[in-house]
Amino acid sequence: MIWRVLLALVACAAIASADPETDADAAFRRAGELAARSDPAAITAFEALGAARPITRWTDDAWAEAARLAENARDYARARRDYLQVVALGTDDRLVARARGALARIEELGGERWDAVRAAHERLASVVNGDGDPRSGLRELAELVRANPAYPRANVARLTIAMGWESEGDRETALGWFRAAADAGRSEPGQHVRLEYVRALVRAGELADADLELSSLDAALVDHGGARQAAEALAAAHHGRKIRIGLALALALLIAAGAIVARREVGSWRALAKIFARPPLEVWFLAPLAVLLAVVAWPGNPLVARAVRWIGIAGVATAWLSGSLLEAARTASPLRTRRTLLHVLLVIAAVGAAAYLVVDGLGLLGLLEETWRGGPAMQ
Amino acid sequence: MRTLSLLAAPLVLVACVKGNPTDLGEFVGEGGTYHIKDCGYDVTTRYGAEAPKPGQPIFGPDPTPRLVHLGIIGDPKTTIVAQWRTGDEVTRASQIRFAKGADLQANELTETREGLEFAYDSTGAVSPRMHQAHLCELEPGTAYSYQVGGTDATGRQSFSPVYTFHTAPDVIAHPDAEVVFGFVGDSRGGYDVWNMLISQLSTRSPDLILFSGDAVTIGLTQLEWEEFFARAEPLFARVPFVSAHGNHEVNAVNYYAQIAMPGDQENFGLDYGFAHVTVGNDTPDDISKLAGEFKTKIDADMTKSEAARWKLFMHHQPMFSASTRHGPSMTLQDAWLSTVDKHHIDLVLNGHDHDYEVSKPMINKQVQASSANATVFVVAGGAGAELYDNGMDFWTLYSEKTYSAAIIHVRRDQLTLDAFRQDGTPLPQGFSKTKP
Repeated sequence: MIWRVLLALVACAAIASADPETDADAAFRRAGELAARSDPAAITAFEALGAARPITRWTDDAWAEAARLAENARDYARARRDYLQVVALGTDDRLVARARGALARIEELGGERWDAVRAAHERLASVVNGDGDPRSGLRELAELVRANPAYPRANVARLTIAMGWESEGDRETALGWFRAAADAGRSEPGQHVRLEYVRALVRAGELADADLELSSLDAALVDHGGARQAAEALAAAHHGRKIRIGLALALALLIAAGAIVARREVGSWRALAKIFARPPLEVWFLAPLAVLLAVVAWPGNPLVARAVRWIGIAGVATAWLSGSLLEAARTASPLRTRRTLLHVLLVIAAVGAAAYLVVDGLGLLGLLEETWRGGPAMQ
Repeated sequence: MRTLSLLAAPLVLVACVKGNPTDLGEFVGEGGTYHIKDCGYDVTTRYGAEAPKPGQPIFGPDPTPRLVHLGIIGDPKTTIVAQWRTGDEVTRASQIRFAKGADLQANELTETREGLEFAYDSTGAVSPRMHQAHLCELEPGTAYSYQVGGTDATGRQSFSPVYTFHTAPDVIAHPDAEVVFGFVGDSRGGYDVWNMLISQLSTRSPDLILFSGDAVTIGLTQLEWEEFFARAEPLFARVPFVSAHGNHEVNAVNYYAQIAMPGDQENFGLDYGFAHVTVGNDTPDDISKLAGEFKTKIDADMTKSEAARWKLFMHHQPMFSASTRHGPSMTLQDAWLSTVDKHHIDLVLNGHDHDYEVSKPMINKQVQASSANATVFVVAGGAGAELYDNGMDFWTLYSEKTYSAAIIHVRRDQLTLDAFRQDGTPLPQGFSKTKP
């Protein structure tokens, strides 16, 4: 009899210590550790805790975590099921709001019918945007879009493909996909895809097409702020092109004028060619400096390093031309101060124009503007 | 005489374009402080802004509230700041109506508090006028409905729609509390993408927005700020946001006037749920402050919050970035990295480079096998500004040239970051960490 009483007391004590909240707390923690290790068993562990009874303060959290992990794993059917559990429990309005948002996100993609296509799309988007050769991923994604033109995110995929080919330097293919996305997005509120097409045309230097596309945006649908910014970018591109053409023409004119004057001074093109074939002293002085600067800049910002390289090349070329022209002038008569001064001024102008063309060509004008306004970038 | 009038003409023209500031009252523009007694803190405005003062029952031609957004100065469990502008810049009436409960009707908002207002100098013909209302002694983890606006001397009223916000949870009473932060930055010049990211963030119901800076191209340009806030209003009227100062904000008075934040609004910290968030300004007006005064403030905040379960540090320019545009900031590594390591910060959040990057766990510029005591650096500077090329370096776990935002889930034992592109497609690499 005494044994039986003692046994009952021990059993009661055991039941009393098995606090469901404490157990659920520990189970939640264990499932979280699995999730941090990206162990797929984490979803099952959270679901088991969500389904366990009695309901504890961790029940809705467990369903929410299971759903989030399932969504991240692109198992949308499972995520949908688990989010619905959070909504059904309704014990925490914040968790319920997030679950409803997630369900809306999943449903707006057309429901279960498109789950497999969506999973493939997201996998391929990661492949083409990731580190590695994106070209096979881009082709696969293009096939997916062609096979599923009614897929609610087909246009998002078209944009991904367009940007992918743009990064790969295949401008024509990229613009083709941008155009396809813009055509499919003609009735889209905001006209974001068409604005993206305008921006791509500006980047590609197709300014006439960009003008046309911008002017044909649907005024009733377009995001006016976005359209204004695209128009500003387009105007800046037009302006930049005028400057570039002007500078290139001025450079060409300078070189041609210099050659004609030099030819008159040395008497024949053959004699001038002989002078040009020998690197003048300026080149022997400047070339090692340009190499040194390029080497120093090489481990730093790659864009700046490229600019330093090209400015160095332009500088050496200008020095070669300048030195040779001076050499040609010296063969005719001693150099006068006025002539020398004019020569120096023209060389400075040529170096300035060449540096601008390099900086602009590498898309570094914005960085220069930022540095001008905010001081040198911290490195 | 003719010369004199010729010289004076541009000045007259400038005065006409700028408008006469005295039209707005006594525009002082030297800043000032107002003590909010109920909340136990001060509101301080900077040089270029008027001192904050209580609203008056005066309406201008268009007193309609607009650009409503929430901020935090005090404890987010019990306080919130509502900020807004009006259709005109001369309305002085400043009130908030509120009541406990989500999605209430205007006639259910039973409590009223008076607000503050102040004008600040800016580009444009008229000085913008900010309105602020401070709610204190709120209940933790609770939904409140509110609307802002005012009442003039004749009893005429003009109020915003009713919005709902939530106070931060009390984690002692609710150990299962989860808080969600939206993390985003560098919207400047790309407000259609910013709009898309705001929609994406809204569907994820964050509790707090962490903005890593560069909201606008030049901080002094008020028009761009209007675009930024107008696009964000559907989210920012419901969710408070704190911002790190970006280099494009150029320490303009517009930035400090429009965003209510704790302390000096540059280097501060706040507890939200199980997380402590430290915010730093890495573009001070004087660069020597980085390793001096600012480092001291950041270190003091991190020391004070040593016991915090999760430690996040947000500033603008990344110490570790493999983007080919700006790349890693050695200056910041020299100034702040030892502080980050000393306090075992879990997550550092940056922008500045317009791409998305996640680093491997790092201590003292060395990659670690585990994130246990190490720090992970995330760059998500793709909220609309022109994208930069991404890259890979020895610390890079993942990088992508994309517009992006991220959602950070904070629980007692777990910290996770999930990022997504502007169209909502998830980015493959986030961050997850547990603590026993």
